[in-house]
Amino acid sequence: MNTKKSSWRFWLSLVILLVLVPLTVLVFSRFDRKYYLAGLAIIVLTTAAFFLHFESRKPQARELVILAVLCALAVASRAAFAAVPHFKPMLAIVMLTGIAFGPEAGFLCGAISGFASNFIFGQGPWTPWQMFAYGIGGLLAGLFAMWGILKKAPKGWKDVIILTVFGFFAILLIVGPLLDTSTFFTVATSYDTSSVLAVYLAGVPVNCVHGAAVALTMLLFGRPLLERLQRIQIKYGMMEP
Amino acid sequence: MQDYDVFSRCHPAVNFLFFAAAIVLTVVLFHPAYLLVSLLCGGAYYAVLRRARCGRTFGFLLIAMVLVAAVNPLFNTLGETTLFTLFGRPYTWQALCYGGCAGMMFAAVSLWFLCGGIVMTSDKFTSLFGAVIPAISLVLVMVLRLIPGYWRKGKQIAGARKCIGRSGAGTRKEKIQGGMDVLMALSGWALEGSVVTADSMRCRGYGAPGKRTSFQIYRFTGRDRFITALIAVTLAAAIYAAAGGSARAAFIPAVSVAEVAGFRPILGLAAYAALLLIPTFYSIREAILWHSLRSKI
Repeated sequence: MNTKKSSWRFWLSLVILLVLVPLTVLVFSRFDRKYYLAGLAIIVLTTAAFFLHFESRKPQARELVILAVLCALAVASRAAFAAVPHFKPMLAIVMLTGIAFGPEAGFLCGAISGFASNFIFGQGPWTPWQMFAYGIGGLLAGLFAMWGILKKAPKGWKDVIILTVFGFFAILLIVGPLLDTSTFFTVATSYDTSSVLAVYLAGVPVNCVHGAAVALTMLLFGRPLLERLQRIQIKYGMMEP
Repeated sequence: MQDYDVFSRCHPAVNFLFFAAAIVLTVVLFHPAYLLVSLLCGGAYYAVLRRARCGRTFGFLLIAMVLVAAVNPLFNTLGETTLFTLFGRPYTWQALCYGGCAGMMFAAVSLWFLCGGIVMTSDKFTSLFGAVIPAISLVLVMVLRLIPGYWRKGKQIAGARKCIGRSGAGTRKEKIQGGMDVLMALSGWALEGSVVTADSMRCRGYGAPGKRTSFQIYRFTGRDRFITALIAVTLAAAIYAAAGGSARAAFIPAVSVAEVAGFRPILGLAAYAALLLIPTFYSIREAILWHSLRSKI
């Protein structure tokens, strides 16, 4: 097994996060019409840093395949609910991946499934934003699991309820507003706070529906999937991937 | 149907360079004339790619454009000339002009993204980035291969459930519960399969020590070199003109748009149009060539 790390990718990811992102903010703050490009640049750079960091670890075959399977499940989960309109369970699976395998896997699962689903439903100006927003959803779930708020092996109803509540509010407060920001930047010049508020408030109903779908999936599907992931790890002797 | 689009047969790096330039320039050069050029060129290439099926998208983008223009003054109340007052807020001419440009930018960027999505297929993307991010590219390839399979398997599971009287139809609650059951069966099956795939990959040498090479199906030909040079020259000319301020436009507090007159602005706009028309030009040339050669036989 090759355990030597690819160090240039690791250092490049650090340089991007610590030097290039602040530099972008600095450069764009001197320009006139900066919002859309600045946002896009920061998002692309951050996603690239995550990708490079993952590459620098030289991931093993099992890690890759589990990640691919979960991404594909997230995208294909839409098919299971073809009968229910506006029911998008994709982010629930992304978040569960983050909980089971950590923040980095959560981000990658979100970003890759967002990108892959756009190959099917059509790429657009929203693609980078969607990748980033979904990635952040998975990352957050992973962080909350790391801090012990979300349980990797939910036991009673309490843990499941926490999962459900987390799913709803993560969409309503973080992922949904991030997606709204992409629409917001395309039409923005200089805004006062009330206009910014108006744009985000306009997105609340859509985010509520999305959040409800994710919360419901977490409620019914969260525990079974987490148990299944644990079972796989025990059955085939996989350590923490 | 005969495929005339030469540009999508070029090297992925050329495709990527072109679309990155087109999208970034459309966002940066926020000037009505430049935006109109970008919109028209993007529309032309989209029409070339989609032929008769482009009408619906154009209709949708037109509506979106008008909507963005009309809505912008509601959020943005700055500007000198008030047209009328709506909900106690001034609806200004300057904000409307800005909204019109923002709408054009939105439509143009959307068109370039749509064209990019058609030309930059997933295999081109992975071949281009496979050397820099090999593992992520591999995951992407696997995901794109697995999705249709899971989609089919999901339908099969739903069908099997129908046979035992659990059709998944009925109230909303029953539909969602049915979907969850399908998803559970699907995830169990998929996860078990993943371990077999991973072990098989490892046995066949994935992750083995030594330098990995990657297979490249695309070759950088003379035509690719020529198109890259063309892109570079027109891009340089457009940037040269824009750096001189010929793409400057301010809307607040009064509309002041740089005039397209004189050598440098006209050169800039012409270079910009030439850059964005490269793929369309090659397609039309190919179509003419094809028809003229065929009629001689």
